[in-house]
Amino acid sequence: MEFFFEQLINGLAVGGIYALIALGYTMVYGVMRLINFAHGDLFTIGSYLGMTILATWAVAEYLGPFAGILLLITMVMFLVGIIGVILERVAYRPVRQADRLSAVVSALGASIFFSNLVMLIWGPRFRVYPDDILPRITLNILGLDVPLLRILVLLTSLSLMGILYFFVQKTKTGTAIRAVAIDHGASRLMGINVNRIISLVFLIGPALGGAAGVMIGLYYGQVNFTMGWSYGLKAFIAAVLGGIGNIPGAMLGGLLLGVIEALGAAFISTAWKDGIAFIVLILILIFRPTGLLGERVADKV
Amino acid sequence: MLKYKNPLMVLVFSAAIFSCPFFLNAYWIDVINNIGLYAILALSLNFIVGYTGLFHMGHAAFFAVGAYTAAVLNTSYSIPILLLLPVSGAAAALFAYLVARPIIHLRGDYLLIVTIAIVEVVRIALVNNVFGLTGGSNGIFGISRPEFFGLTIRRPHEFFYYIWSFLAISVFLFYMLERSRFVRALNYIKNDEVAAEGSGVDVAYYKLIAFVLGAFWAGMVGNIYASKMTLISPESFNFWESVILFVIVILGGSGSIRGVILGAFLIVGLPEIFRQFAGARMLVFGAAMVAMMVFRPQGFLPPLPRKYATHKIKPGDETL
Amino acid sequence: MKTRVKFLVLSLAIALLMGVGSAWAEIRIGLMCPLTGSWASEGQDMRDIVLLMADEVNAAGGINGQKVTVLVEDDGGDPRTAVSAANRLATRDITAVIGTYGSSITEAAQGIYDDFGIIQIANGATSIRLTQKGLKYFFRTSPRDDEQGRVASETIADMGYGKVAILHDNTSYARGLADETRGLLEQDNKEIVFFDALTPGERDYSTILSRLRRANPEVVFFTGYYPEAGLLLRQKSEMGWDVPFLGGDATNNPDLVSISGTSAAEGFYFLSPPVPQDLDTPQARDFLSSFNEKYGSNPGSIWAVLAGDGFLVLSEAIKATGSLDKDELAAYMHNELSIEGLTGAISFDQHGDRVGELYRLYRVDGQGNFIMQE
Repeated sequence: MEFFFEQLINGLAVGGIYALIALGYTMVYGVMRLINFAHGDLFTIGSYLGMTILATWAVAEYLGPFAGILLLITMVMFLVGIIGVILERVAYRPVRQADRLSAVVSALGASIFFSNLVMLIWGPRFRVYPDDILPRITLNILGLDVPLLRILVLLTSLSLMGILYFFVQKTKTGTAIRAVAIDHGASRLMGINVNRIISLVFLIGPALGGAAGVMIGLYYGQVNFTMGWSYGLKAFIAAVLGGIGNIPGAMLGGLLLGVIEALGAAFISTAWKDGIAFIVLILILIFRPTGLLGERVADKV
Repeated sequence: MLKYKNPLMVLVFSAAIFSCPFFLNAYWIDVINNIGLYAILALSLNFIVGYTGLFHMGHAAFFAVGAYTAAVLNTSYSIPILLLLPVSGAAAALFAYLVARPIIHLRGDYLLIVTIAIVEVVRIALVNNVFGLTGGSNGIFGISRPEFFGLTIRRPHEFFYYIWSFLAISVFLFYMLERSRFVRALNYIKNDEVAAEGSGVDVAYYKLIAFVLGAFWAGMVGNIYASKMTLISPESFNFWESVILFVIVILGGSGSIRGVILGAFLIVGLPEIFRQFAGARMLVFGAAMVAMMVFRPQGFLPPLPRKYATHKIKPGDETL
Repeated sequence: MKTRVKFLVLSLAIALLMGVGSAWAEIRIGLMCPLTGSWASEGQDMRDIVLLMADEVNAAGGINGQKVTVLVEDDGGDPRTAVSAANRLATRDITAVIGTYGSSITEAAQGIYDDFGIIQIANGATSIRLTQKGLKYFFRTSPRDDEQGRVASETIADMGYGKVAILHDNTSYARGLADETRGLLEQDNKEIVFFDALTPGERDYSTILSRLRRANPEVVFFTGYYPEAGLLLRQKSEMGWDVPFLGGDATNNPDLVSISGTSAAEGFYFLSPPVPQDLDTPQARDFLSSFNEKYGSNPGSIWAVLAGDGFLVLSEAIKATGSLDKDELAAYMHNELSIEGLTGAISFDQHGDRVGELYRLYRVDGQGNFIMQE
């Protein structure tokens, strides 16, 4: 039983990161109906930017670890958000009117471009975050050793999700985002600047990815240029699992995916870990074709 | 003259391609062979993505089933690899039928993610040496070369004729099919699924057939690939391969045979041409992909509108 | 006659287009390595090392007065691209090729080089079967899986452990080594309490570590690569679990310590051919000083250093035979060649495998240095 809880916590910690990346994914999808395959690579860029900023400016030394990290994450979120806006402007806006799959191909091209750009700028080797930025405290919860950082990752994802949910549901801009998500044309007629809203979404979504990138770097210490692809894929799965386009769904999907992987690896086989997660995904979608929290949208006739 | 423009183009293109072995070296022939293989694979995917409009990003799974069927039967029972061509196709088709049946009702992106899941599960199963047949991550080696009446196909120049003849036959068959009632029904589903259902098209059935046919062809290409490489390993059938095929179809022009072949030239050929950029070649390639999509959002050669000789139909004729 | 002239002009034009320049008065050596893809760091190290050595040879007047040109091709770390790369190199008049990294990728290219009669010296291909096919022109400077498996099981026995956990990553290299070691340990009546694979390229291995801890081994043998090994060590120490870890030669990379942190890496054992830093030979010293001068650090990966060994072997063989004939070179390399390389003495047996005891046991000390054990 203790083993089960230990694995559950392991799963939740990994799931928290999936959820964080999935939030950005689902945000962009909700408004654009675009599977942004470059999202994972924006996440990679975020973690490399975080590393560079940490190494050059030593923010943590001046401001103390927590304020320093907060500033670092904000800076990275801003930078990656800007890259996201440029990406949308260059690669996605021109294909918005075309078939949806054209945008997917454009996103794949952007993904190849970014991952190779990271390789050329920072080199192909594994890069390492400066060690011991955050104190390595281990908490003892119910007889289990849980590193504090894991809890922080989970809390960050949860609070970002909360802020995002509040922003989309309760603010005026959020209402505009929801309107654009439903119908671009009608929103335009209602006086919403659709392009501006889409740019905003491409500021927020990649910024969340960038934040996740920094968290990964801080927690695991090691980054490399190919990591965005697998994390991006996992986050996409998480988003679909929860019902793509749905913010709490991304959170739920991420956590669930992490837990499924951990328990599958713990009780069945670690070599089959991803396989088990994929099979569970297929089964869930067979019985709930729009994900766990996805709305059952009637087809447009 | 305009009337014969299309056949003429086909003739000129075929002549250009089939004269390649006379003046290109082994490297360029190998590149052209890869283009040919990917063109056939993409044509088979075109059935599902291009004609029917299904978001399918797991085609490498069917390719893998075909290749492994050929490899296992060839190495364990030494059945000539060429005889296994239809067997590979049938195995892939059967596999496609089994996995596509429960998921055929999924829409859009949900289908996309499930097909991704399928290709990954297949790869993981191959890596983990499922049933003790697939050789794990080592894969299967020592697959024999195809033999035509005692003539063994070994060198790139010899494979060239094998692959491109197969491509020519495929193009011919798909071209004939394109004009059939069947593909028109698929196009109908692509353009408006609800209306198709309303007009009495059995949507689920047609989608399933599209999957099975596409998989059959992909399975046969798997066989050719296995005999060309003589060793296959799971990493050749990962999600990324599916993505490449998908990109070929969309970039070339979804639903258009000419477009898909052009797409194969661009996606498989360009990284080779970009070799001069060494480490930056994939960066250039990614940027080129975005640029091509931005300038031709509908693909390079989108399908032409169907033409019907309506003026020839007389009152009382049975239409098509 | 006219057609023949036309044909000549045409083929000449194409030859120029394809970059098949003059093939005389220089020695052309190919280098096939992964410059892109997941193993790009290995490939770029390989390129750096081989180009550096070629530059030095040329600065010293070349081999037998002939300049050495190295043609580098990217194999992308996948078999299909490797076939293209091999065909491209093979059609550009090279005498020999160095590379590549990865057994299945090497194997995909093997047949092509053999068809063209080009000598291949692989540097990161440890699968046993590569040299069991009777290929006349294939050599490798890297050791074989069974050799390392033997050393690993002996080391575990020497350390006196009875309950062993083996963890691999399902790549053909790590799997091969894991299988080999398991077989030998079982013959030796050791108990294998855990045998499974992790998924490489991930960040979080706490799940598998929890499982490992539950199996309660006395030692864990990890056969995979350094990024995962570094993370395993780091997360193991976070869990507060104190079990000795032994790694295979793919963990021999200084980045291991930076990933895991110095304290977590302390006490980690691994097997590896000796790196130039540990060899007190003039070759190793010269190489290290010129590498440091040019790139400002020690070479990262042992496999890339083995590519450098491939270059040394070739230049020695060409120098000694005074010929670029493949059969003469191959015969010399099989029978007579014996040089002091960057990783110790090099000579080959009739299969093209490297002869001799290569593996050493290393331990990471409290400062994160790799200390060779006697």
